[in-house]
Amino acid sequence: MGPLIPQGIITGQWDFVIALLIGFAFGFILEASGFSSSRNIAGVFYGYNFVVLRVFFTALIVAMVGLLYFDYFGWINLDLVYILPTYIHSMLLGGVLMGFGFVIGGFCPGTSFTAIAIGKLDGIVFILGFFVGIAIFSFGFPLYEDFFTAGDMGNITIGEILGLSNQIVTLGVVLVALVAFWGTWLIEKRVRKTINPFKF
Amino acid sequence: MNRNYIYLSILILILSAGVFFLPERDNNQQISPEELMLQIMQPTHYISTDAVAEMIIEKDPTLELIDVRPIDEYNEFSLQNAYNLPLDSIMAEGYQDYLGIEDLNAVFYSNDDIKADQAWVIAKRLGYNSIYVMKGGLNCWIRTIIQPERPEETASSEDFELYNFRRGASQYFSGIEIEIASDDSKSGVNVVRKKKKVVAEGGC
Repeated sequence: MGPLIPQGIITGQWDFVIALLIGFAFGFILEASGFSSSRNIAGVFYGYNFVVLRVFFTALIVAMVGLLYFDYFGWINLDLVYILPTYIHSMLLGGVLMGFGFVIGGFCPGTSFTAIAIGKLDGIVFILGFFVGIAIFSFGFPLYEDFFTAGDMGNITIGEILGLSNQIVTLGVVLVALVAFWGTWLIEKRVRKTINPFKF
Repeated sequence: MNRNYIYLSILILILSAGVFFLPERDNNQQISPEELMLQIMQPTHYISTDAVAEMIIEKDPTLELIDVRPIDEYNEFSLQNAYNLPLDSIMAEGYQDYLGIEDLNAVFYSNDDIKADQAWVIAKRLGYNSIYVMKGGLNCWIRTIIQPERPEETASSEDFELYNFRRGASQYFSGIEIEIASDDSKSGVNVVRKKKKVVAEGGC
């Protein structure tokens, strides 16, 4: 059945409607997970709060495993799912810059908008800086275009780079995630004197 | 640690191990002959030369023109910003990169409909969507856009509007200054404008 737009089931004009709906849901989950607080986000770098790592790792492994089952049931054709091209040099530099922005500003782009939604001043300042950054990047793009597109590896996946099947990569990431959940739990217990785990 | 976390961890571990037991799924299913015939019969995969001209003039970012004629004919004349994907190369490695690009509508054209239609059927069998054929090909393009025929004096205002659009498009693509026809032209007053020097556009 899916993906819906590449299969021609719905037209590309639905992009924005779907993005809006996903945006609402994503923003709601971010806020409900406490990501509008920069303390929760920056805490991962100081070693007292790993909720960001756990939430995003959980989303990642659920999506990975879920997509493989969806493919098996014929609900999605994984061959038609668009894979972003990998520009390894600019992506590595971008990752480092993003990490610095994360720990200095206390937000990532998505969570800064949820912070604005609940009226946080630091979120507003972050977003102002965010747009200044976009402007600098956009207007200065010709200066570093060659670097941006260097190291083009094409639309490649981790499995293709390592020569492993999707199943092995998925199991590997799940194992890493579970070890990370357990490890961060131990670190949090040692660092924080009072810890109230979320009950469900 | 909360026991529920342990249960969830075990569940995701079992599910991720379970993917090894899923049989390989053949995702390269081709369109069925019945479905293909149905789509060939429908005129919705045709797009008129007027619509293509309008999209080019408006610089529609979703338009991707694909010339399926041989490369020498393409070099001689092609539409603005068109890519060359010769019909005999459509199966070759690397050429299909032009097809299946997200948010782009690929419009095939050739001198007439035949080669473009063949390319459309092959692309459809290869599983591509958002592909169209420019109805009438370049012959129709020349007839309707570059050298449009003036409608009869008794023609409707819609015909004159279409004619005026085509004359405007003709000027855009060929760079030749034209006179604008209207219903008032029946009075016999022809406004002949001074010719301007316009740089030819349109990939010619």
